[in-house]
Amino acid sequence: MKKENSKNRKLYFVGVGYMKYGDKLIEMRGIITEIHDGAVSIDFKGRLGNMKVPMRMLISDYELKVGQEIGMNMSFPEVLSEEVNEKYINNNKAKLER
Amino acid sequence: MSVSQERLQQIENEYAIVCCRTEEGTILSADNLEDPGIFEDLQDSGLLTIPSNCLKVGEVLGAKLLKTIDSLTPLTGDIVEGLKSLKEEKEEGLQSPMEKAVLKYNKNAGEVISAQDLENPMHFEKLQDSNLLTLNDKVLTRQQVVGKVLNTHAAALTPVVATMVEGYEEATMAEENEQSVISNSFGQQILRIKIAEGKGIDIEIPLNMTVPQAAPQPRVTFPTAVSKEEAVWKEEMKVEPKAIRKLIKKHYEIKEVKLGEKTKIEGSTLYIRENICEDAINASELVKDIKLEIITPDKYNTYSETIMDVQPIATKEGDNKVGSGVTRVLDGAIIMVTGIDEDGVQIGEFGSSEGILEENIMWNRPGAPDKGEIFIKTQVTIARGTNMERPGPFAAHKASDVITQEIREALKALDENSFEKVEELVQYRRAGKKKVVIVKEIMGQGAMHDNLILPVEPVGVLGGKPNVDLGNVPVMLSPLEVLDGGIHALTCIGPASKECSRHYFREPLVMEAMKDEEVDLCGVIFVGSPQINNEKFYVSERLGMIVEALDVQGAVVTTEGFGNNHIDFASHIEQIGMRDVEVVGMSFCGVQGALVVGNKYMKHMVDNNKSEEGIENEVLACNTLCKEDAVRALEMLKTAMNGEEVKAAERKWNANVKENNIEAIEKEKNIKVELVENETSIPMSEKRKFKK
Repeated sequence: MKKENSKNRKLYFVGVGYMKYGDKLIEMRGIITEIHDGAVSIDFKGRLGNMKVPMRMLISDYELKVGQEIGMNMSFPEVLSEEVNEKYINNNKAKLER
Repeated sequence: MSVSQERLQQIENEYAIVCCRTEEGTILSADNLEDPGIFEDLQDSGLLTIPSNCLKVGEVLGAKLLKTIDSLTPLTGDIVEGLKSLKEEKEEGLQSPMEKAVLKYNKNAGEVISAQDLENPMHFEKLQDSNLLTLNDKVLTRQQVVGKVLNTHAAALTPVVATMVEGYEEATMAEENEQSVISNSFGQQILRIKIAEGKGIDIEIPLNMTVPQAAPQPRVTFPTAVSKEEAVWKEEMKVEPKAIRKLIKKHYEIKEVKLGEKTKIEGSTLYIRENICEDAINASELVKDIKLEIITPDKYNTYSETIMDVQPIATKEGDNKVGSGVTRVLDGAIIMVTGIDEDGVQIGEFGSSEGILEENIMWNRPGAPDKGEIFIKTQVTIARGTNMERPGPFAAHKASDVITQEIREALKALDENSFEKVEELVQYRRAGKKKVVIVKEIMGQGAMHDNLILPVEPVGVLGGKPNVDLGNVPVMLSPLEVLDGGIHALTCIGPASKECSRHYFREPLVMEAMKDEEVDLCGVIFVGSPQINNEKFYVSERLGMIVEALDVQGAVVTTEGFGNNHIDFASHIEQIGMRDVEVVGMSFCGVQGALVVGNKYMKHMVDNNKSEEGIENEVLACNTLCKEDAVRALEMLKTAMNGEEVKAAERKWNANVKENNIEAIEKEKNIKVELVENETSIPMSEKRKFKK
């Protein structure tokens, strides 16, 4: 049983059994739009959204410049359940109250 | 992709599966076959099912395909003509029949030994040199064992002796009963056996009674047998260890922290000046606000901004330098740096650990607060938008250090006799033991991915050189400098795997290696992880040169967290490994932080993961290096240095590997290794509940 679980994890590690389409990899292309000392922002081509990742998550052979293109494998974000994560919401409230 | 000719030799016994569409009538060659290395992946994703009657690579080479098949079709007997029988061919071609028989692969009881199962005699010398193999007269010759059935499970590189093979057993027993065996002209006893199956071959085996052992050598993760070299080495070990330098840590425990008129220590109470923040705010223009909170255990359930760092409160006596002399340490309280920018954005926004404190801290980790300690928590607000620029996080640390420095001054003012607990740390060099070096990779990508090396005060700011400014090149520290706060970590993202400043102050690997009397720890090299690949390789090559010059026999390379730092982590291991130095790598990997690259030197790896699911669980310091990992790494390194083989782990992450290793170490060393708890021991936050 244990062995099987670890097998499934490869594709659906965030929550065994939650993700239905976790193995549908799509090659995405994007453009670096902002460079900070600790992070880069990336716009996905085709106006498919943007993201900001820590420097250490970006692999590059070249000196970073705004406008460079990146490629990565992604899949579709999948909503895992109906539940709302109260903690994140509470944290946001707590931040505002302070 | 097809396989190369060299690779072909290694995969003769693997399944034969075509890589591309192959036409009827094709004579099968390396070009048509897929590399077996990827079969497991393909099977996992359901792209491939290997039938039980699938042929082996060695069998199909040169055979003719009878039917056009698609790519990734396993080859079976019904679609291929002109198969070669691996066994027969090899038996005919049995080379050097009078050489000793040594198994090349693991074999189970009941399996027939064929010529190809035997190691090529040309390697014997090498194997014997590295103590992987001991050959004596009892070992049968190749000619004798081919075609025989094994009666016991035998690991690879086991020399085949009479007791392991059916047909010889009785004869061996007979030998024990009848001492009147024939003697040859050299006075050696000779056993003559006739084997019916072998059609009347006479065999002579000299009976060397000094070698009783015939059982297979189990491949374990640490030394069991004492080899010749080791015996010599033990002899040398009698050289007295030489004390290089000493560090005295004087501890003063406080039980209460209060705000008062002046910063001072009275009895077991630490008073901090009420208006101290007014001074701290001037530390940098970027600091817009700073709040000081005192978190006693009853306030563990309050909200906090993301924890940037956990620092010990310690100071040097007089002009003592970090790493020697006397350090005064305040026990019972720690400094916790937290921060946001003017817009309320967390410093180090990714996977930050803001929230209820007790849900987000893995207590008692080397880099985390211990349960029961009082947190002197600063909450620094830095200028808008600077949370991701280098000066931002640095300013937050600098402002917090103003407060710490004032406490340090109070600690300096204490009477010399008021310290109850005195700890003496001595750095020994153990000449004659195996020389090892610890390499710690620290982040150097910029912003909070930075560390101050060797500040004037333990984990201070003043005097510390940021490793980013040093070009991330390797810097050698003495183990005592590490344990004395020689590293002030600005600590980056990934709360669960980041090594806070306190981690270095009580680094378990350094402590264990210093204690270990079987190794000679020569130093701790810190090497930064730059952002761009060619810079990574630049520092990595420098590291390789330093390790070469050090003439060490072993090295442990550690890194924190995961991401592009795994590229240089792998490169460090390669640079060290290619210089024939045994190297053990330590990193958080689990499931989420699986290594992005690898090389052939990365065979000894220790995973720092402690989380249930093998993920970055956003709990501070959960997946950092602990004593249990340090013990495993050192044992693994010693095993490797002794020339023993470390078993390959399963292809996929499996927490049981660690438990097995720990059990084996406990049994062998007769010690108890306490395993630390993981996130399941603390109140579960909604964030984690959700992920389960």
